[in-house]
Amino acid sequence: MVGYSFELALQGMRRFPRTSALAMLTVAIGLAASMTTLTLLHTLSADPLPGLSQHLYLVWVDTVRAKPTTYTTLDGTGVVDYKRLRMADVEALLAARRAVRQTAVADMFARVEGGDAGHGNDETILAATSDFIPMFGVALRDGRSWTAAEDAARTPVAVIDSELARSLFSTERAVGKVLRIKGHAVRVIGVSAPYAPQPHFFALDQWSFSGSERERVFMPYSAALDVGAEPRRSDGCDADTAKDKTLFSVDVARCAWLGYWVQLDTPQAVADYRIYLNNYLQQQKDLASFGRSQQAQLLDVPQWLTLQNVIPDNVRLNVWLAGSFLLLCMVNVTGLLAAKFMRRSAEVGIRRALGAPRRAVMLQHMIEAGAVCVLGGVLAWPLTLLGLALLRMQGQGFTDLARLDVSMFGALFMLAMLVGMLVGFLPAWQVSMVQPGLQVKSA
Amino acid sequence: MSLRVMLASLRRHSLMPALVLLQVAFACAILCNVFFLAWQRLEPMLAPSGLDADNLIVVDNLAAMGRSFTVAETEAGERALRAVPGVRAASAGFALPMVDSASILLNLRGPTQVAVGVSAFFGKGLVQSLGLKMLGGRDFVASEYRPWGIGASNGDDAWNTGAAQPIIITQALADKLFGRANPLGQMLIDPEDKDGHGYQVIGVVKHMLRNQLGLAIDGRADYTVLLARSIGNTAMLNYAVRVDPSMREAAMQGVKKAIERQFAPLMSGGVQPRVEFYADKRDEALKSSRATLWLLLGLVLTIAIVTLVGIMGLTGFWVQRRTRQIGIRRALGARRADILRYFLLENVLIVGAGIALGMLLAYVGNLMLMHYYELSHLPLAYLPMGAAVMLAMGQLGVWGPARRAAAVPPVVATRSV
Repeated sequence: MVGYSFELALQGMRRFPRTSALAMLTVAIGLAASMTTLTLLHTLSADPLPGLSQHLYLVWVDTVRAKPTTYTTLDGTGVVDYKRLRMADVEALLAARRAVRQTAVADMFARVEGGDAGHGNDETILAATSDFIPMFGVALRDGRSWTAAEDAARTPVAVIDSELARSLFSTERAVGKVLRIKGHAVRVIGVSAPYAPQPHFFALDQWSFSGSERERVFMPYSAALDVGAEPRRSDGCDADTAKDKTLFSVDVARCAWLGYWVQLDTPQAVADYRIYLNNYLQQQKDLASFGRSQQAQLLDVPQWLTLQNVIPDNVRLNVWLAGSFLLLCMVNVTGLLAAKFMRRSAEVGIRRALGAPRRAVMLQHMIEAGAVCVLGGVLAWPLTLLGLALLRMQGQGFTDLARLDVSMFGALFMLAMLVGMLVGFLPAWQVSMVQPGLQVKSA
Repeated sequence: MSLRVMLASLRRHSLMPALVLLQVAFACAILCNVFFLAWQRLEPMLAPSGLDADNLIVVDNLAAMGRSFTVAETEAGERALRAVPGVRAASAGFALPMVDSASILLNLRGPTQVAVGVSAFFGKGLVQSLGLKMLGGRDFVASEYRPWGIGASNGDDAWNTGAAQPIIITQALADKLFGRANPLGQMLIDPEDKDGHGYQVIGVVKHMLRNQLGLAIDGRADYTVLLARSIGNTAMLNYAVRVDPSMREAAMQGVKKAIERQFAPLMSGGVQPRVEFYADKRDEALKSSRATLWLLLGLVLTIAIVTLVGIMGLTGFWVQRRTRQIGIRRALGARRADILRYFLLENVLIVGAGIALGMLLAYVGNLMLMHYYELSHLPLAYLPMGAAVMLAMGQLGVWGPARRAAAVPPVVATRSV
């Protein structure tokens, strides 16, 4: 019976091709609008480091020796605070080694040159400590990461990504070669695959999403400071910092410029670390006189991304807008199909009089509605790609990452089926209620 | 034909009218919100800048790394700019119009307890250099300016003067803060600044568009003030340069050269000064808003077309089903115009009900969005706008089918189908 219903449904679709095409097109536009906005949201809310990020926590203790300078404007804008630490605290926390792994993270800037001087680029350097590379899942292609001993000894070593290796040394086999940063020699000890988790959660002060920017040099922050790389901004400085060192340059000893991340594998470890942090803060006796809120924070990655409002509001707003538009399209198609189906009430009446059960009539029309929507979904695919291409053309940094992946393609198909069911139900039910006798009589 | 008959007929066959109604309701709800979103983008585009936009050059991105510009260097820059042929006025300033690298935001509260967040421009002689139009009061006098700078020290704290400081506000702010009262001489305080002595209004300018266009919505475009700050030692500064309209291009070249000459030796770290006309900067700043606006326009058009097609399809079918009834009515003496009017009126009825539901949905939808996102209240004025579009679409959609209905000859009544 299903096969027969299928045949009838396809025949029905071909009967008024204009109406069918119109319904298909409407479904396609609604689906494409929804899928375009959903894909962007999906891209932006994806886990930056699947498998690793659930164990990562950002550590924050507010130890800047200055009066708090918060000024909240009625326009709802305030100074963004990236929860960075002063170097003294980073060193103390690193020395305690209370977590499975721990690392400082900061983006620093310098001109990086290859073997022959003059050939180089202005690079964003990811300055960290030895645990960063295993902890944040940087894939090494060659060589090794640096060790805690090299951190302590301030050894000028670096891991660079394959792209920079090719650009500076024309080969990916760059281990053992020497970089020059501000005239200082830095030995390459490892070559990594390009590393660009989205969002750029470990240094949101630089950018949150980018298809083009990334750090191509990883090195110990101690050595990075020695060779003259500079952090660009801080979250606040001690009161005794010279004023001209607070805005564009950072007094590395007095300003909060290093992010600090730990890896904690169990809830117990998280709870223990919290206690440890609060104790650590209690020990800073001289802090009390500055009137800052004495609170330690331990934030997991989702909390951190929410706090920083990483996904722009209008991305979600557009999903709502497109969703309601899809709803409108669905009501519209329901109407088109109802009109189309009811036009054939005479022949349905005959079929019913000849013994076709309601179920069969209903099934036939549900299939027809489903087919219209699935074909609409097929049509929506290129339309979605077009929508995403339009999005990427806007070039707002985060938009150029929007791509249709397999899961979103599956979601499109499921959505089309669901829309078909919802849209087809009412008209199919209506047409299955046609009385057999009546139609035979009047025909 | 009485309304009761019409309603009875609608009740008898309720699926088609219900679908039209639902469609109109959704479309109306979306349209109201889209119009509102579009207006939020449009508002900063249409807001008057209040200054000599075509002849104003803004110099941005002057930044001293690890040191600061001294007062002497800043003033030398000002003198060099004034010496450029075609330049009428030049001021060193901070957070000037259309500067995006820095902005100053503060809160002000008036005697009526109304508090607003405002943008501020700093610099000496800005009324002249920006070409602002004063409506009342006076400009600052030289002795009122206090040196100020960012990332550098300027001796005593310029904010804490021990007395109220003079302030120039816009007409829009005066209306908001003081209502009908004369703003001149009125006192304002900053509720966040506990040690401050407040501000006294000494002048009112007509318009002054704030430099964060994202905040220039909901009637807040002109929430801008001038404070009596001259630029002292600072790590960052801007210049506002007003030029002779007949020498725009030549003056631009001159200004670029003067900035290069004065600041190239003082800046390091690969930062390039930006010298642009205000009008171009504003145009650039509005680029993404314009893109969004086109997108929203496309959405409005699509919604209109989808609704139109939907109404046409449904009413077409519905008219066809009632061919016989129409024939009977014609045979009983109804004129063509009566039939036409019947269908148009019926459509108004259905669409009207849809609009009523749609307005409710629009409002609920807006409340929901407000709850989750930073969006302001949907002003009630948007509801009739969506309604008008829907009514027009309804009448347009029903016109064809109604005409066909009116063309049904009375003889149809005698046939069996």
